[in-house]
Amino acid sequence: MRIPFLSMFMTSPFDGLQEHAEKVKECAWVFQHAIECHMVHNCKSFEGLREEVIRLENEADAIKRRIRGHIPVGTFMPMDKFQLFRYLREQDSVLDALEDTLDWISYREEPGIPEALQKEFLLLIDSAIDPIEELSRMVAEARKYFKNYSEKQRKLVKDIIRNIRKQEHETDRAEHMVKRKIFNLETDAVTVFHMIRLAETLGSIADHAENAGDMMRAMLSK
Amino acid sequence: MTANYSVLIIGYIFGFYMAWNIGANDVANSMASAVGAKAITIRQAVFIAGILNVVGATFIGSHVTNTIRKGIVSTQVLSDPHLALIGALSALLAAALWISFATWKSLPVSTTHSIVGAMIGFGLMAGGVSVINWGKLGAVILSWVISPVFSLVIAFLIFKLIVRVILSKKDAFARGLAFAPFFIGLTLFVVVLSFVFKTPLGKTLALTMVEALLTALALAMVGGLAGAALLKRFVGPDAENGVEEIFRRIQIGTSCYVALAQGANDVANAIGPLAVIYFIVTTGSIGAMVPVPLFLLLFGGLGIAFGIAMAGYRVMDTIGHKITTLTNTRGFAVDFSAATTVLLASKLGLPVSTTHAAVGGVMGVGLAHGFEAVNFKIILQIMLYWVLTVPAAALTSMGLFVILQFIL
Repeated sequence: MRIPFLSMFMTSPFDGLQEHAEKVKECAWVFQHAIECHMVHNCKSFEGLREEVIRLENEADAIKRRIRGHIPVGTFMPMDKFQLFRYLREQDSVLDALEDTLDWISYREEPGIPEALQKEFLLLIDSAIDPIEELSRMVAEARKYFKNYSEKQRKLVKDIIRNIRKQEHETDRAEHMVKRKIFNLETDAVTVFHMIRLAETLGSIADHAENAGDMMRAMLSK
Repeated sequence: MTANYSVLIIGYIFGFYMAWNIGANDVANSMASAVGAKAITIRQAVFIAGILNVVGATFIGSHVTNTIRKGIVSTQVLSDPHLALIGALSALLAAALWISFATWKSLPVSTTHSIVGAMIGFGLMAGGVSVINWGKLGAVILSWVISPVFSLVIAFLIFKLIVRVILSKKDAFARGLAFAPFFIGLTLFVVVLSFVFKTPLGKTLALTMVEALLTALALAMVGGLAGAALLKRFVGPDAENGVEEIFRRIQIGTSCYVALAQGANDVANAIGPLAVIYFIVTTGSIGAMVPVPLFLLLFGGLGIAFGIAMAGYRVMDTIGHKITTLTNTRGFAVDFSAATTVLLASKLGLPVSTTHAAVGGVMGVGLAHGFEAVNFKIILQIMLYWVLTVPAAALTSMGLFVILQFIL
């Protein structure tokens, strides 16, 4: 059918962005289950949950490729094409960091996280997950902004970004606390190394979420 | 004479086919943005467009038509009624076939340019190169560039203006209501002017430029204030999507206008050549102008309405589902720029097409960051078909002319 407008309109990249953000969120839930299970002794489902995270990561990867592959030269969007790609890369890195963390744990499942560190690690995990929950909300609100260009809406998105930044800061503090405690622990060097790297990969989850927020901020700039 | 009557019957069939094609193709021009922006439902769009096209064609459509559309071919080719008969038939069928092909390939071409191209083909066969008015052809070529660019600029500015003065403000809804008289007035101004200048009914009023401007201004002011008052009553205090609601109402108006004007103007593309055939068959000779009987206009209008009814649903359905990012403010910007461009360009004597203007409007809003994603590269492809329209219709028309000459 001849429709003059139709051939010009393409699937909005925001659909994919939103879908990708939801996948990240879903992945974060599974991740939390997996790592909490790991802390309890005799965890049976850790491997299964890790597989689930890997599966979700693969699905998210497909979405990412779909978005990147379907923005031809000459596409006009409310933001720069490469800002969108950079944002997507950071949002995807959050997933990678989640997967890396579980991989790192799986290399040395026994003896697990020492009892003395568990409280601090739980705090760190919670604060690393928090900014992820904000990502999908940020994408949804940003999409609304690009629809109505309302100053109020813009402020709302900026507030979410600021919130993510704050949460990243919290995560940093939690990471420091964990690391300090690890070195004060009377334990073997391998455990110390394993735990330090674990704290660092957990911290990087929030870092990537913050980077995603920063890219979103760049898209909002007038 | 019996042979001529069978020609007339064939002419009716071709004319109806051409009108059907116009309806199937151009329904998107008037209703696409309104349906895409969910201002009206698909059923409503098909119904409104059908009715308004019939009304526009029958009552506003010209009762006297130039035998050669847009004066592109000198009327001396009509001196032999037999050749004129064959020429009108081949031009009609050639234009219709080309539009059918474009429809099948999903490409926006102009129905006016198709018939102009077909007429050139006929002129070349009947009178040779000398009968073609090459200056007019230059205007057609100019319109390929001018109408989209013009429309692009207007759409860009209008959308930026809406964002700047209404959307970005804190009290967007209140500001939307405050500015509604301005936007309704602006639209009415353009609508009244194009009604006066573009439609055959308006031309019979024969207003001067100043009179027309003053009339339009007065009507725009009255209408703008009245419309805004109505808006205040009917648009609830739903502040969330309030601005879009305001433009939704305005957009329904612009869409209806485009449908009406389309019926009035485009019916001649199908009925002009048919009127030539009718006139030759009934009187035996032909001049530069022919009277068009009311029933022929109604016949053309019904043909367009049939095209809309049969193809419109599918077109609208696709638009409604695919263009999800076309909100009412964007739709308004596209409609307004297309209408204004068509008015201005036709004032300059350019044979512009609403299709071209609408495509330019979409680009303008895209440049103003109004859409989540529009593909500009497709424009090159679309423009290729605009350029191809004239030679393709001309060649088809020439071929048909040769074939028909053998038969008749």
